[in-house]
Amino acid sequence: MKFFILTLFLSSLLFSYQKGDTLPQDMQNKLNIQDNKIYIIDFFASWCGSCKKEIPYISKVHQKIDSTKVEIIGIDVDKDIQKGKSFQEELKTNNALTFRVINDPQNNIIKEFKPIGMPALFYVQNNKIIDVIYGAIDNVDEVILKDIKRLQQ
Amino acid sequence: MIKVTLLLSFLVLITGCSIKDVQPWEKGTLAKDIMKNNGGNSLFSKFENHIYFSKEATKGGGGVAGGGCGCN
Repeated sequence: MKFFILTLFLSSLLFSYQKGDTLPQDMQNKLNIQDNKIYIIDFFASWCGSCKKEIPYISKVHQKIDSTKVEIIGIDVDKDIQKGKSFQEELKTNNALTFRVINDPQNNIIKEFKPIGMPALFYVQNNKIIDVIYGAIDNVDEVILKDIKRLQQ
Repeated sequence: MIKVTLLLSFLVLITGCSIKDVQPWEKGTLAKDIMKNNGGNSLFSKFENHIYFSKEATKGGGGVAGGGCGCN
């Protein structure tokens, strides 16, 4: 029985991207990413309260980092694209959203990453997922900056 | 043949019992007002809040219990 439950649990993980996985070519094209940069992929939605809180902090990081070496990509998973866009506009007018955003109304991108919670941050280097942060955390900007420093060493 | 048919129909039937998990990115639907007990009707929620406040009045209703004048 234990084995059965463990297999069920692991099978759900098998079909999602985990730490150490390489992104397939079509996903690299969808996200428009290259080998030579570190990418931070942030999944968010307008209905996700903690994502809304976290985005200004991530934008703060975006303003501090060297964009030739590190890039932040937001993935808006709102099924209602108009709602998503107006949410982004609202953030942009407050200067709280400064990074590039890809709209994913069909959820094609997030269905492959399959995060276990939102917001979710995926660190990608050389097309490989090197770290994942689930859920909103305190002082996320400082955490990301520290992680970037560690990855660049 | 009958056994195989029965087995196949049983296998098809039990798939109907499986519960599909709500994925984290699908929770936008659950966050909608219409998914509340009162169906997002503000009159109902006002009424429900009134009942809740009355029932929990001894500990301050929906807020923090105050003391003193008894005007709450």
